Amino acid sequence: MEKNKLINEIRDKTELMRRDCIEMGYAAGSQGAHFGPALSCLDIVATLYFGVMNHDPKNPEMPERDRFVLSKGHACLAYYAALIETGYIPKDMISQFKGNNSILCGHPSMNMQYGIEVSTGSLGSGLPIACGMAMAAKFKGEAHKIYCIVGDGECNEGIIWEAAFNAVKYKLDNLTVIVDINDFQLSGRTSEVMPINLDALWKAAGWEVLYIDNGNDVEEVLQVLTKAKESEYGKPHVLLAKTVKGKGISFMENNLAFHAAPINDEQYKQAITDLKTAEMIRKEE
Amino acid sequence: MSNISLETLKEWSKLGHRSSFGESIVLLARDRKDVVVVSADITPTARLVNFQKEFPDRFFNTGIAEQNMIGFTAGLAIGGLMPFAVTIAAFAPMRCAEQVRSMLGYMDLNARVVGIEAGCRFGPLGNTHFAMDDIAVMRVIPNFTVICPADPHEIYKTVFAVAEHKGPVHIRLTGAPGSPLLYPNDFDFKIGKAIEYRPGKDVAIIATGSVLWEGIRAADILEKKGISVRVIDMHTVKPIDVNMLDSVFAENKLIVTVEEHSIIGGLGSAVAEYKAGFEKAPKQIMCGLGDSFRKIGNYEFQMKDNGLVAEGIAEKVAISL
Repeated sequence: MEKNKLINEIRDKTELMRRDCIEMGYAAGSQGAHFGPALSCLDIVATLYFGVMNHDPKNPEMPERDRFVLSKGHACLAYYAALIETGYIPKDMISQFKGNNSILCGHPSMNMQYGIEVSTGSLGSGLPIACGMAMAAKFKGEAHKIYCIVGDGECNEGIIWEAAFNAVKYKLDNLTVIVDINDFQLSGRTSEVMPINLDALWKAAGWEVLYIDNGNDVEEVLQVLTKAKESEYGKPHVLLAKTVKGKGISFMENNLAFHAAPINDEQYKQAITDLKTAEMIRKEE
Repeated sequence: MSNISLETLKEWSKLGHRSSFGESIVLLARDRKDVVVVSADITPTARLVNFQKEFPDRFFNTGIAEQNMIGFTAGLAIGGLMPFAVTIAAFAPMRCAEQVRSMLGYMDLNARVVGIEAGCRFGPLGNTHFAMDDIAVMRVIPNFTVICPADPHEIYKTVFAVAEHKGPVHIRLTGAPGSPLLYPNDFDFKIGKAIEYRPGKDVAIIATGSVLWEGIRAADILEKKGISVRVIDMHTVKPIDVNMLDSVFAENKLIVTVEEHSIIGGLGSAVAEYKAGFEKAPKQIMCGLGDSFRKIGNYEFQMKDNGLVAEGIAEKVAISL
């Protein structure tokens, strides 16, 4: 597919996915949703599902599919939105987000019928699991790739670094990690809650580090993910992606109050207006 | 799975549970190409050197990082392999309990967690190295099966049985080198099906793990006093064999549970939980480790100090009857 056409298609999908996120979060009512951390990594998730990964929504368990692990499981709105827009999850399940006996739990719960590969939610859990999945693929001589999104706040967890060392030891070059650096975590700026030099740490752990200056720009995300996919480093690669928490919704952007919160009717209307405005501006361009 | 020779079992009995497991897993791996071992830097201690030598590409050492060991194990299981995560029982499950729950239990993975030196055999090393709580931790996690083999033969049977089992399993290994061989001959082993080691009318001693031997010796002491004692090997603590318990409740007058584990949350608790649903069921005595940290001392001292020797068990029974 022509590159520009693909980029435009992915952008179309991000618009639909952002609407899905708002609809799901609104449907959850007073229970609210983790809007901020989902919207920051949404463009990365969309680029993976619509521009990078080999997968087939009609055959969720296709053996040669690439695997996606959302280590920052609280950002599941973005994950579910991708699974809705690809066709793994029917659109009429949007209203079931966080509902009683629902498949669409507040953190992903493994369910291959709907394309949910791994249960996550306890921070730090996705990366070591992704490492094991990458190791199993190598052991069995399978060519598929493993993609794992980790949060910058999540990198506070010691197990992330245990897994990071392990991935280098076992030369897991079929594993690509994207760190969603939105510089926020539950109680404040990540750079204040636990100031750590992610670039230096991932390098010191022995990873091939690539950079995405704007993790909400599909074109750049696609370019760097493609570079990672086509390169053979003999070691795992990590993409440090700067993003905006709550990206795309005016009152949520860089607003910690919407890390996890309910939205009222007015906020819902405002969010939809924001998305429509952004869509119009993009079409005019 | 082929029968194992008596000579081999006698040798394993001398060497202890670590070697019994380390050699059994080599035999299983020869049969099943999907079996892999993950350990947290415990290779020689857990007698995994032979496995590593024979299957270098199926052996993973995740470093001194038990949480990562469980995460990696989960990924290997999701990837279609049959991983056995092996380390000292004091550190798995407790050091990685949340990973064991959220990864292995929650996703119902075909992964096995093996804890060596459970109980208090690491007596001189201090309480950081005792596993008094591992059955309790594992038993409370949905989907987990918990097995405590009593001797080298039962370890061998367990290793092969769990390879055919769906869902996560915890294997808890206890006992010192030189512990007796309780099953010299071939025997039927089924996960979740207790073994009536010896029939008896008055008292039922229900034991799990290598301390079964002390239960058998206690039965000998009591038989000499004219008390008929039934001895049951409850190798699977979860799911507990309720059919066997039904039979005990109907036929025996006193129940004695014996375990090298805290009396809170282990075999005794599992029996008592089931018994709570019966209006008329026999009284139960719990022999195990009390609710306190242990004194420091060698294994023999620990077992005596906690009443986990035949004489101590028999004395408790005599007082209760």
